[in-house]
Amino acid sequence: MSEPAKNAAPEAAGHCLCGAVRYRVFAPLRPASACHCSQCRRQHGAAGIYTGGLPVESVAIEGTEHLRWYQSSAAARRGFCGRCGSKLFWRPMDQRTIDIAAGSLDQPTGLALAQHIFVADKGDYYEIVDELPRFPGSNAA
Amino acid sequence: MSQIRQLPTHGRGHCLCGAIRFEISGPMRDVVVCHCGQCRRQHGAPPGYTQAAWEHIRLEGEKALTWYRSSEKARRGFCRICGSSLFWEPIGTGRVSIAAGSLDSPTGLKTIRHIFVADKGDYYEIHDGLEQLSGSMLTASPA
Repeated sequence: MSEPAKNAAPEAAGHCLCGAVRYRVFAPLRPASACHCSQCRRQHGAAGIYTGGLPVESVAIEGTEHLRWYQSSAAARRGFCGRCGSKLFWRPMDQRTIDIAAGSLDQPTGLALAQHIFVADKGDYYEIVDELPRFPGSNAA
Repeated sequence: MSQIRQLPTHGRGHCLCGAIRFEISGPMRDVVVCHCGQCRRQHGAPPGYTQAAWEHIRLEGEKALTWYRSSEKARRGFCRICGSSLFWEPIGTGRVSIAAGSLDSPTGLKTIRHIFVADKGDYYEIHDGLEQLSGSMLTASPA
């Protein structure tokens, strides 16, 4: 993994609740997706909201000794802070990209929610009422 | 004519990896979504919580449960193995808020309110027409 230039201005930054894990993003953020899959809902305790598909080399992480990874499926693992439990990252096993949990980003993020995915797995305790595109599973063709 | 809806008095749930499981055998509150910066950081998104009395909750796998003291008043419980956010406990009240996403479906619960909307993230909008409070349920005036 190549290191981003240390003196370049990051496009975005974020951290976990306790501050043990911090990151800077050196690539433009992509529109956010709300994921209603049961794995996201169990782990986040809520629908996950992610800005996805960032090149791994564009994200510089500090405090990696506190970052724990849980392999939630054959396809992906999920990164969280071992001290405060904050959800930070979702990373596919076979790609060189990383998704960032929007709640961990410093405000303002400048992001807008663009779509809902895995709505077939939505919880029964809320409704989706906006007009954004909805996909029963992933939005991959 | 609206029918009076009975709130659930039984629920089960677990973390993503299954190390921590719980059963609620008592009244459960409808779901309140919290938009405060602490919740959004820890959950990675605004979480909805039900609430119950500790005395009505049976917990299994407590060894995997890690508590993080996020303020003077409260602590947050998560699974050390998979990182799932499960509990927000206002200390000393005998009650605990339970992240709705950790509950098995169907929950029989409904979302009724949004709190701390003054701290909402800029990356989503609240469109559902439910009650919104700028702060907590105890101190806030409607947003």
